[in-house]
Amino acid sequence: MNDIATNTDLTGHNVEGGFNVDLIRRDFPILSREVHGKPLVYFDSGASAQKPRAVIDAMTQVLEEDYTNVHRGAHYLSQTLTDRYESVRGTIARFLNAPTEEEIVITRNTTEAINLVAATYGREFLSKGDGVVISDMEHHANIVPWQLLRDEIGIELKVAPIDDRGVLDMDAYADLLDGNTKLVSITHCSNVLGTMVPGKEIVRLAHNRGIPVLLDGSQAVVHSKVDVQDLDADFYVFTGHKLYGPTAIGVLYGKAELLAQMPPYQGGGDMIATVTYEKTTYQEPPYRFEAGTPPIVEAIGLGAAIDYVSAIGMDKIAAHEKALLAYATERLTAMPDVRLFGSAPEKAAILSFVQDGIHPFDTAATLDRAGVAARVGQHCAEPLMARLGVDGTVRASLAMYNTTGEIDIMIAALERARSLFG
Amino acid sequence: MMAIAAEKMAQYEEYVEALDLLDEESRFEYIIDIGKRADKTPFPADCMDDAHLMHGCMSKVWIIHEIEDGAHHFRGQSDAIIVKGLVSMMTGSFSGLSSEELAEITLDHVRGLNLGALTMQRQVGMMAMLKHMQKLSQRAERSPDTLRAAD
Ligand SMILES: Cc1ncc(COP(=O)(O)O)c(C=O)c1O
Repeated sequence: MNDIATNTDLTGHNVEGGFNVDLIRRDFPILSREVHGKPLVYFDSGASAQKPRAVIDAMTQVLEEDYTNVHRGAHYLSQTLTDRYESVRGTIARFLNAPTEEEIVITRNTTEAINLVAATYGREFLSKGDGVVISDMEHHANIVPWQLLRDEIGIELKVAPIDDRGVLDMDAYADLLDGNTKLVSITHCSNVLGTMVPGKEIVRLAHNRGIPVLLDGSQAVVHSKVDVQDLDADFYVFTGHKLYGPTAIGVLYGKAELLAQMPPYQGGGDMIATVTYEKTTYQEPPYRFEAGTPPIVEAIGLGAAIDYVSAIGMDKIAAHEKALLAYATERLTAMPDVRLFGSAPEKAAILSFVQDGIHPFDTAATLDRAGVAARVGQHCAEPLMARLGVDGTVRASLAMYNTTGEIDIMIAALERARSLFG
Repeated sequence: MMAIAAEKMAQYEEYVEALDLLDEESRFEYIIDIGKRADKTPFPADCMDDAHLMHGCMSKVWIIHEIEDGAHHFRGQSDAIIVKGLVSMMTGSFSGLSSEELAEITLDHVRGLNLGALTMQRQVGMMAMLKHMQKLSQRAERSPDTLRAAD
């Protein structure tokens, strides 16, 4: 069954193998609004993407017509909604090309997915002195859970460096896979620099030493086609709201044999098999890791978002974004006062920059006046900011619904900032 | 509630009147102008330290506090021009008051500047500056020695 797919009428979106951004834009109601009297230019999809009508409608439809709790009722509504909720697991599994849907754990977001792995796999299989390798361009979500584990059991955090283009230093990475390293947890795409990390090679090198790998796909799933079997990743995590889906839902993919060995994360309803005061037994994965009422409506929304991007085609989205990235890079590098961070050959449409002599906050405030929503600050990646030698940057993170015309608006606003603050 | 003498609020009223005449876009440029003008008045570099740093801002804000004949005077600095404009409007508006008078300044005064039209977050930032100034003045009156040390 797939009720959700019926909400995704994309006839005509892909013209002649191309990509019709005007039609795409019409699917996103918010894009027709104005900010400060100017059309909204939404360049903050890296923080959270806007939602297409298909997602909004799917969630509204459940709430209006089909809503109840799942996994707990013999009644009609509960059974049909449980089926539908569970079918989303299959949608997610196909999206990631996971072998089975039992390997898909529903979480609250990426942050919870990584904390889950640290708290269960970490506590079970790591011990004092063991090394966990991360990179120099992690989001705090892939730093702090490991620091908590370090403080608790005494693991060692090892950081693989990047070069000045923002490319992971693979030799240094390989060197870190020495004696004590027991886990690798690395971003598949940097939320600040846009760098696409060679996930497959990361995994291959680690597996040569018998070391499992977690990839943080929060940004990567949005900008490219991800295949967890091809990557051979042991864990792969992402968050729904950046993939045009709702907030409060995330995904942990874990290989079945690993999930099977991991203890529960939180205790409560839904995750148990039997409970007596003396002894409780737990469900099999993935349910073992999903205590309490899950994000039901959000799961339906995420399913609709995945159906939506899949119907358009991740390759088409990636091609459109690649063209946007090339155009934005050309325009920004032509501005003498703009310093762009991140020039990896494999890069997603994320542009971090500063204007010489202008505080990023002032730049972003001027962009805001022009209706351009960009992020300013440290982007939850303070260690990376230190590595780049800046207090913060302005970040324009582009998505499938952005246009070259919008990039022109941003450039004009940057020129205005130059004249206002220069 | 005690009334604050009108002449002590002259600078504040001037800002209120000036901003009232402007549309949103011009307000934005007005704040930048104030920020740039403030940039020309030197702020002692050795005061751009942790002791004078106000926490919880998107950009850095430093505030110097001095007392003269029971009146509290403030000078502000920020690394972003817009924030420098905002902080100097706050320090300009609310310097020269006693700590009791300063305690009477509320969100309504901040709202009166009409900058809330820009964004809520900015208004929250201005309130944080006000609270910080109130705290500095009260702390100084409780223990004048700490003040001198911090200066
Ligand atoms: C690379 C990366 N990892 C993790 C996260 C955290 O995502 P969430 O806040 O949804 O858990 C983000 C989002 O900001 C991200 O970009």
